[in-house]
Amino acid sequence: MSELVCIVCPRGCTLKVEREGDTFHVTGNGCKRGEAFAVSEQTAPMRTLCTTVRTVFPGVPVLPVKLSAEIPRDQIFPVMEAVNAVTLEKPVAMGGVILENVLGLGADVVAASGLLAE
Amino acid sequence: MDLRSINRRLSARFGGAVRASFSKGCVVLAGRLDTWAETVEACQMAAKKNSAVHVVNDIVCAEVQASPQSMRLPSLRDGALEGRRPDVLIIGGGISGASIARELSKWKLDILLVEKEADLALQASGRNDGEVHPGVDLSKGSKKHFYIRKGNAMYDQVCRELDVPFRRVGQYVCFDKGWLRPFIALYCLWRRKHDGIEDTRIISGAELKRREPNLNRDFKFAVSNPSSGCVCPYGLTIAYGENAVQNGAQVSLNTAVLSMEVEDGEIKSVHTNRGTVYPALVINAAGVFAEDVAQMAGDRFFSIHPRRGTNSILDKKAGARFSSIASVMERARSRGHSKGGGVLHTVHGNLLAGPDAVETFEKENVATRPQSIDTVFAKQEKTMPALNRGDIITYFTGVRAPTFEEDFIIEMGRSTKNIIHCAGIQSPGLTTAPAVALDIEKMAVEELRKKKTVEPNESYSPIRHGIPVLREMPDEERAELIRKNPDYGVIVCRCEEVSRGEILDALRSPICVPTVDGVKKRVRPGMGRCQGGFCSPLVAQIIAEFLNVPLDQVKKSAPEANITFGRTK
Amino acid sequence: MRTYDVTVIGGGPAGLAAALSARENGAKTLLIEREARLGGILKQCIHDGFGLVRFQEKLTGPEYAQRFIERLRGTDIDTSTLTFVTRLERTQAGFAVTVVNRDGVETIQTRTLVLATGCRERTAKQVSIHGTRPAGVFTAGTAQHFTNLLGQLPTRRCVILGSGDIGLIMARRLTLEGAKVLGVYEAKPTPSGLTRNIHQCLHDYDIPLYLSHTVTRVLGEDRLTAVEVAQVDDKMRPIPGTEETVECDGLILSVGLIPENELAQSLGAELDPKTKGPVCDGQLMTSVDGVFSCGNALHVNDLVDYVSESGELAGRAAARYAAAPRREVELRASPALLCAVPQRLDLNRDNSKTTLYFRSREVLGPCALHLRLNGEAVFSKRYLFLRPPEMERLDLDFSQFELDEGSKLELDIEVMGHE
Repeated sequence: MSELVCIVCPRGCTLKVEREGDTFHVTGNGCKRGEAFAVSEQTAPMRTLCTTVRTVFPGVPVLPVKLSAEIPRDQIFPVMEAVNAVTLEKPVAMGGVILENVLGLGADVVAASGLLAE
Repeated sequence: MDLRSINRRLSARFGGAVRASFSKGCVVLAGRLDTWAETVEACQMAAKKNSAVHVVNDIVCAEVQASPQSMRLPSLRDGALEGRRPDVLIIGGGISGASIARELSKWKLDILLVEKEADLALQASGRNDGEVHPGVDLSKGSKKHFYIRKGNAMYDQVCRELDVPFRRVGQYVCFDKGWLRPFIALYCLWRRKHDGIEDTRIISGAELKRREPNLNRDFKFAVSNPSSGCVCPYGLTIAYGENAVQNGAQVSLNTAVLSMEVEDGEIKSVHTNRGTVYPALVINAAGVFAEDVAQMAGDRFFSIHPRRGTNSILDKKAGARFSSIASVMERARSRGHSKGGGVLHTVHGNLLAGPDAVETFEKENVATRPQSIDTVFAKQEKTMPALNRGDIITYFTGVRAPTFEEDFIIEMGRSTKNIIHCAGIQSPGLTTAPAVALDIEKMAVEELRKKKTVEPNESYSPIRHGIPVLREMPDEERAELIRKNPDYGVIVCRCEEVSRGEILDALRSPICVPTVDGVKKRVRPGMGRCQGGFCSPLVAQIIAEFLNVPLDQVKKSAPEANITFGRTK
Repeated sequence: MRTYDVTVIGGGPAGLAAALSARENGAKTLLIEREARLGGILKQCIHDGFGLVRFQEKLTGPEYAQRFIERLRGTDIDTSTLTFVTRLERTQAGFAVTVVNRDGVETIQTRTLVLATGCRERTAKQVSIHGTRPAGVFTAGTAQHFTNLLGQLPTRRCVILGSGDIGLIMARRLTLEGAKVLGVYEAKPTPSGLTRNIHQCLHDYDIPLYLSHTVTRVLGEDRLTAVEVAQVDDKMRPIPGTEETVECDGLILSVGLIPENELAQSLGAELDPKTKGPVCDGQLMTSVDGVFSCGNALHVNDLVDYVSESGELAGRAAARYAAAPRREVELRASPALLCAVPQRLDLNRDNSKTTLYFRSREVLGPCALHLRLNGEAVFSKRYLFLRPPEMERLDLDFSQFELDEGSKLELDIEVMGHE
């Protein structure tokens, strides 16, 4: 049995997971999302990434970006590298795609700020 | 005290470890001792208060040997000053050096002031409580006493001329034992009649309560000196320096004196990290390093024993509960040569508590320690029971530069002709500085006239205009300034209400120090309760724009004080 | 002179929500913001997790702020940015608000005020850190400003003091940007930040958390070269002999937030020593009639969703405000609670749906919150756990209780036996 803290919402439930072959029994979760989180933590932990991307605009040296979907936790640093290789040269609106399907992980790097669109 | 009795006492206390001898008009102590405390004790045993015969400390101290001290030097190396032949070289950009530079700028002279730090007033002059003392604790016969009333009286005019805020808020030395009153009344009479501290009066406990309701309610009476005031000590130093520069003096920061060449009792040249200069006259205003400078000049006839003190600055909310300067008189006076600190309403509206007094051999160690805060609060909670550590917004340590005689040295060199010492300056050195500067000006002019004619500087103006302080202005005046310069309407530091315009003014001031600390000292962004949490990135950006450099080139203070390490990507 | 029904001071999440809600309730509204852009501290909070309660979405700070800013654009709310309030004064008709901006000095008349001034960070000196004064000591928010808004790296190798949420978020953020975070030191025996942040910001990146440890001293003359850390005893005093020197070039502080209430105090508003925000009633009106408080100025929140909620409540109440005598009953928080808001109820106002916010003083297992009226429990709610870093919220109908000015109302927490 293993114990972990749910990070899906701020409630931070303490989850207990018991494994029986390929099935997991989760207790301590306040909602369904907790159960799914516990299972994925046991098999393939997924995370999102929020960072910034460099721009050529002096007033906005960096622009906040995020991922459109979660990626495997161990891909965070490779994705950081991919993002850091980009320099935005054109304004992009909030939600605008900056890197499509980054590293083939099925998630886009999108602008999380409308600063350049103003 | 004769030499024999000094040696008898030294021998009784330290065995044969230390001996005093008389040499070139000084009492020289030599030998070996383990600790700095013992070294200070030995020198103090040999010293006569206020005497012109000084103790010179040649004792080898094991504690000092174990952590040898050398002066911190600026990293800068260039030849900017190479070959300069100033009439006067002033060593030290504290209140003494800056005020002397300003007074000397009345004359057609080439004046060069060198300061090893990145700004003026970075050591003792910027690290004290800013009290303009009345001199109530000083007796006739000392130089401190000689200058205190003159200096105190000059403050209104000097601060008006230099556009520096100064307020005579009054000082109260408070007593909780009513039976002491007749004795203290006699003491006050003596101070008035004999020592000329004319404003010394006793006020009743009831009157004290009326004036300062937040002081200890148990105080039975207090010695009041209405002539006491408060000033911003670094603000005044910078103002003096700027006025000197406006009148033609040169201030060279990041410039340390490394050595001197002395021939036939005369300084021929002075080596600095920015080149060798050949001054006609040197003024030693080097604070804790005054002894080192005297040594370089072949004129070491005194010793400095550094004494550390820590002050706490409390929120303006605490400042609003009190409007003057007060301290409690405790019967058992410590051996320290300080009235033991107090509480003070600063000229900027904060409350200040401190300082303490601790002997140290580390001339430049201004790290703070929790014990200092404990000591100060233990004492000052008696002065003001409402004093609350929770209101502390910052604290700082300064190192005083006393001689063992505990008096100032203001005189021509004894063995070397072309040097004037302004040494041993400690409290009340800020108060006396305006008066001392006038005397040193006279001495210097007299000395220089032996070599050349010295004419008045016809374009001299004693008036310096400070940077406007918009938060203190009536709305109409403020609006008018904003109309002329909209940057005055953009508030960058919300705690101290400092505008972008004021910050740019600081960067364009006569002694430009384009660092976050330099701007902070001049117009106060970051001095408030958030301590620059909100504004320091904004101030750094304004400096970067002004200098037209990348943000990571902006420093906190010294050239090595990086704030950031460049772009994240 | 410009006149308004409601003037909101502060354009962060609380102020944005307050202005929108005041306008929706019919008030002619002015929103004053001292920075160039609206959004407050959310502008630099580029991590996600905002808006889960309100939008059931994980938004980043700028995205969350943008939703409100866009709504604001569709209204006729007057917005003054780069405008700083220098003075508040009471007048016959309400309040005079004096502001400065690039256009000069202006005095504005308003019937009511909503103070949404946020909070500031506690600094190194306020947690008794001693030593030298080098560059490289930052509050977490300042480090965040440099990193996220200016794209500058404030440290390459740092220690974080305090396990507050911003500290944890910055531990992850700096690690992502290539800095080495040597550890997070927390003087308390339990973490100060949300449990999920301990997990996703520290555990995910193998950043150690040292509980019952503090930073005692800063070393280095120009730039920080090291810090001294030490274990602390149960009174959080450093234990002599446990000092260790950690070489680093940065010290990031996340040691607490202090509501900014200098303006509230200038009007004489009474502050609660527990929350450090104004004492408020169920409508979030302070002790000064017509002055309302919300967001982090009212009390430090851990979720922006609740910040917006309190802004909406304050904005609506300010819009609907009509002078009336007060008939107040105190809502006491027992020592088992760290703090609770509101601190009072005005029986002359509608208390049928009053939102309570509270924090427990300690980490507790199964327990119950009781509302006691004259010593008797009139309402109870059970919790599986309560943690001081996690603020609890509940709506309560106080009109169901028979309250008068002499009533003794108290919130208390009872720890349940093990089941």
